[in-house]
Amino acid sequence: MRMSRGLEPIRSVVEFCRFVRANGLDSGIRATIDSVRAVRIVDQVGLDDSRHALRAVLSASKRDWDLFDQLFDAFWFGRRLEKPVRRIAPGNSAVSARNKQGIYLGVGNLASKEPGATKEERKVVTGASAVDRLRKVDFSRVPQDDLAELGRLSERLLRRMSLRLSRRFRLTSLRGRIDLRRTIRAGAARGGEMMELRHKSRKKQAVKLVILLDVSDSMNPYSVFLFRFAYVLGRHFDQLSCFVFSTRLVNVSDALKARSLPDALRALSTITACWSGGTRIGGALGEFNRSFGRRMRSTETSVLILSDGWDADEPGSLIGELRILKQHVKKLIWLNPLLGLDEYEPVTRSMSAALPYIDVFAPAHNLQSLLELERHV
Amino acid sequence: MPSFADDTQEEESGEISEFIRGFGRFGYVADRALATAVYLLVRLPKPLLIEGHAGVGKTEVAKALASYLKTELIRLQCYEGLDAHSALYEWNYQKQLLAIRVREKSDKPVEELERHIFGDDFLLKRPLLRSILCESSSPVLLIDEIDRADEAFEAFLLEILSEFQVTIPELGTVQAKRIPHVILTSNSTRELSDALKRRCLYHWIEYPSLEKETEIVRTRLPEFDYELAFRVVRFMQLVRRMSLSKPPGIAETLDLSQALMLLRRKQFDPETAEQVLGCVLKSADDLAKIRREGVGNLLLRAGP
Repeated sequence: MRMSRGLEPIRSVVEFCRFVRANGLDSGIRATIDSVRAVRIVDQVGLDDSRHALRAVLSASKRDWDLFDQLFDAFWFGRRLEKPVRRIAPGNSAVSARNKQGIYLGVGNLASKEPGATKEERKVVTGASAVDRLRKVDFSRVPQDDLAELGRLSERLLRRMSLRLSRRFRLTSLRGRIDLRRTIRAGAARGGEMMELRHKSRKKQAVKLVILLDVSDSMNPYSVFLFRFAYVLGRHFDQLSCFVFSTRLVNVSDALKARSLPDALRALSTITACWSGGTRIGGALGEFNRSFGRRMRSTETSVLILSDGWDADEPGSLIGELRILKQHVKKLIWLNPLLGLDEYEPVTRSMSAALPYIDVFAPAHNLQSLLELERHV
Repeated sequence: MPSFADDTQEEESGEISEFIRGFGRFGYVADRALATAVYLLVRLPKPLLIEGHAGVGKTEVAKALASYLKTELIRLQCYEGLDAHSALYEWNYQKQLLAIRVREKSDKPVEELERHIFGDDFLLKRPLLRSILCESSSPVLLIDEIDRADEAFEAFLLEILSEFQVTIPELGTVQAKRIPHVILTSNSTRELSDALKRRCLYHWIEYPSLEKETEIVRTRLPEFDYELAFRVVRFMQLVRRMSLSKPPGIAETLDLSQALMLLRRKQFDPETAEQVLGCVLKSADDLAKIRREGVGNLLLRAGP
């Protein structure tokens, strides 16, 4: 199809840019201008050239690159999009019925339906000893009356801990290579005589943290608190990624960026649809290794797995994936809520098979145990 | 699809084909999508960000472009901890100190000494400054593996790429006379910043098809037996389809072909394959995996 030079082709290219923007490609006005110029430059005769040109201009990642052809065909040839590709902004859509029992709404009824709480634990706490006791109460047995107080307390203590952590990592060491530029500069004060040497060293990287949180049925009593834990950590770690998994893996890092915890939980419930099902730890780790691994595994990264180790899969796949993960990260930490129980032994097949690959294996059943994380990271 | 073409500009479309042919002359087999992107890089002009798996020939694009445009290739290899000084310029402090000591006894005015030690002789020009100072023609500036540098460097790079202007306090501001053709490559080990991506054209290089890879081997190693090359390439395509931790790229295909040439093998049998497997796979896990699969089986599937 040929058209003469004029306003029309420009307008349709601009329309196309608006179309791809509406469908998930992150392109700005600059990209639109470049698109028009690019189509002019390749001075389209064959359709393919303008396709290539527009793709080079409008995409910015592999994802865009793969999506582009579909959008191009949809716009210019009227093909239907295979699936709606519009990006969903977390936090603006209604909570779907499916998530009704999710973590977000689970907070309220969690303790009341728990028959295991003993009389002593149900006692309403007051006074100074309350803090101490709340730190040690098992998440699955928190009395209804204490829930709010525990929430406040954990936020305060965890925040303090993660602040300490993030500060600690910004310290730089004092010695390194001699920095001639600064040495000479300092020498200027003494008439060019270099009395003291200035050093430079590589700035210590802030530690990156990846959290993989198990939200399957068996973890139900704990996952609310563990998510709260992840949220508070996220406030102070610049580079924290968080995933939840049961039978599949969902990246919830964006949800952690919400301004308040309830907002975060709401955002979370809109982007996840996998709450409380069976567990496939090996599968979820595999998905992590394949889809996010190259980007997120690095020698400064610590990976924190929060799971009880009940796995529906054969342990073989878990071991394989753990081994891959272990090779690429600084530290592999597994926090297991069941470890808080006196009688618990890590005897589930998956858990015992996983132990050799784990750097730190610790409990995560109460606030105290989460605060201990500080020692390990 | 709109077209901006006048009949008078018909020959323009040939330029993309000209790029493909030109790249071919320098041993790079480019498809039309890549040629279009490179053409736009030169014409718009805008930096081109190339992503793709290891060993698919990202860096080679820059080399081929430099050869094709008959211009200088300036390469900045990124690494963790790369800072502005090692990328842009640095004064040669040791030499400056010596120069000061040598002239201490002379009675020339201080100003002259200062002019001397902040002269061109004492300036260590790093790749970015070199690309800006190029006078004859626009050089090709290759910023290799940008994902290895840290984010601070990325921000610094943004500034350079938008202005092509550097201020050196002692010398003044230097503005590029010829805007360099910039190619950035990334192995996508890290998400690049949106600002940088927005400033660039983008191209993803996939592993080549059977036909394309055979053509690459033939172009690079013309004296290599054609039948054997075809078999090697089919073998490599099968290996790539296994889920390995480090799938081999085109570089490995060429290594393997060269190894066979050096060993003067007329056929690619299991025994030979076993000997040269080290050219293809670089990790113990992958080697174990392929041995479990059976090299012979793979070769069988690769055909006669």
